[in-house]
Amino acid sequence: MNARLRRKAGLAFVAPTALFLAAVIVFPLAHAFYTSLHRVRGLNATFIGFGNYARLADDATFWHSLGVSFAFTASAVALHLGIGLALALVVNELRAARTALRIVFLTPWMVAPAVGATIWLWLLEPQFGVVNYLLRAAGAIAAPVAWLGEPGTALASVVAVDVWRGVPFVMLLMLAGLQTIPIEQYEAASIDGAGAWTRFRFVTWPNLRYLVVVATTLDVINTIRHYDIIGVMTGGGPAGATEVLPVLIYNTAFRGNRLGEAAAIGVALLGIVLVLAVVYVRTARLDDGTRR
Amino acid sequence: MRRRSPGRAAALWTIALAAAAVMVFPFYWMLNTSLKPASEIFASPPTFVSAQWSLDAYRTIFESRAIGRYFVNSLIVAIGSTALSVVLASLAAYGLTRFFPRGATPFVMFLLFTKMLPETLLIIPYFRLMSDVGLLNTHLALILAYSSFALPFSVWMLIGFFRSIPRDIDEAAMIDGASYLQAFWRVVLPLARPGLVAVALFTFLIAWNSYVWALVLTTDSSMYVLSVGIANMVGEYRVQWNELMAAAVIAAVPVMVLYSLLERHLVNAITAGAVKG
Repeated sequence: MNARLRRKAGLAFVAPTALFLAAVIVFPLAHAFYTSLHRVRGLNATFIGFGNYARLADDATFWHSLGVSFAFTASAVALHLGIGLALALVVNELRAARTALRIVFLTPWMVAPAVGATIWLWLLEPQFGVVNYLLRAAGAIAAPVAWLGEPGTALASVVAVDVWRGVPFVMLLMLAGLQTIPIEQYEAASIDGAGAWTRFRFVTWPNLRYLVVVATTLDVINTIRHYDIIGVMTGGGPAGATEVLPVLIYNTAFRGNRLGEAAAIGVALLGIVLVLAVVYVRTARLDDGTRR
Repeated sequence: MRRRSPGRAAALWTIALAAAAVMVFPFYWMLNTSLKPASEIFASPPTFVSAQWSLDAYRTIFESRAIGRYFVNSLIVAIGSTALSVVLASLAAYGLTRFFPRGATPFVMFLLFTKMLPETLLIIPYFRLMSDVGLLNTHLALILAYSSFALPFSVWMLIGFFRSIPRDIDEAAMIDGASYLQAFWRVVLPLARPGLVAVALFTFLIAWNSYVWALVLTTDSSMYVLSVGIANMVGEYRVQWNELMAAAVIAAVPVMVLYSLLERHLVNAITAGAVKG
């Protein structure tokens, strides 16, 4: 009797959230899948089974976009991790200024990606942008570059902006990780005569490796889904050079009005993310078993 | 202890300050541009410190553009999402940790799953469903959307906080005659305050900074939030960069202020969440 009452009370606490999530996530997700099985034109929807998926398999635009997504995600994540870890090592050493530096370094991450992207549009503006001015003054380029106008530089530019925005978060994680490493391990290494590189190689890296794997997976999952920066800066152009999957989904759904196909691309993207998520959960579990 | 040579310290400082300069320069340029008169925007070479800084661009965006309106929209939506998300998340996290300690794990797995969903996938049904129920161009549509993806993370973070509060404490309160709700409200919530602050701040920032949902769910320009209003100014025939940057300042400053005030709360909660997996 008492146990049943308890159960009821417990359900009353959990129910609002469960119902809310069912309404705002589970139902829309099911609806998205349902849409992906239809050919949608305006208000007319015709059931076509897996027709949209079959069409994707032959669609050069989709495969191109998948390639752009991988290129964008791989380069952005590699740079987030490399620069983030390097900066964390530096900031960790500068003990007196650690908190101040952390706040300064995090500013790009706090501000809305869409707003950050807008600021960069102005910095990269071909004629009057300050980036071209500085690079020319430094002698790095001879003539102004239309950064977002050429396919090659456009992809590099959106990667650069994403790196600017994404490094802080990785740095924050790495900094937290560094601070959990017992100082005694460094002292022992120093007594044995280890130099900076040896200390990194045999003390820092083994302690941090797990966190690096987790951060990489999380960062890949977040970066491959990211829309805002590219959506604002190029909308996928020029000539599809920056059309990552989320941008392709948006353009297909809301510029091309082909909701069924857009939903199918979305489900494909979700599939990719879920595979990555399994890797992530496995890694996190592995750690639970071995470290605690 | 390791001994640090002055040369090494200088090198570290150089790297740190150079990196900080790259990180912060775009914001300096935003501020600098926003304070320039229109005639100076296209000056060559560009002025790094203008002799004629003024607030004209700010006056223009509030008087002849609807930045004030966008600001209010952003504020309503962010506060609404925060309130909804904090209330629901704290109830759920309390229920799960106190009544279904074992059920918490599958629920958390589900929450993690929702964190993986691509926004652009969910937007497609959202657009359709919101227009079916007549919620396009309303604050409520955005509040629901932002809560939907802030809530799972909030519940997840709060489960961690509530677990660290011993159950004996609320059980003692109930022996003294408190109801479940009273024990939750008077005893547990006050103890979980750092967690609640982190969750509230986190949700506020997500809602304030979000873009693509508002882009799709609002078509009427009087309902634009700041991020959408600003990004739309880019598409204009002749972009007034000083006004655009002034608008960016208006959007960026509140989160910077909030953030630096509450930095520690947020950083601890987020790194704990990510590190714990």
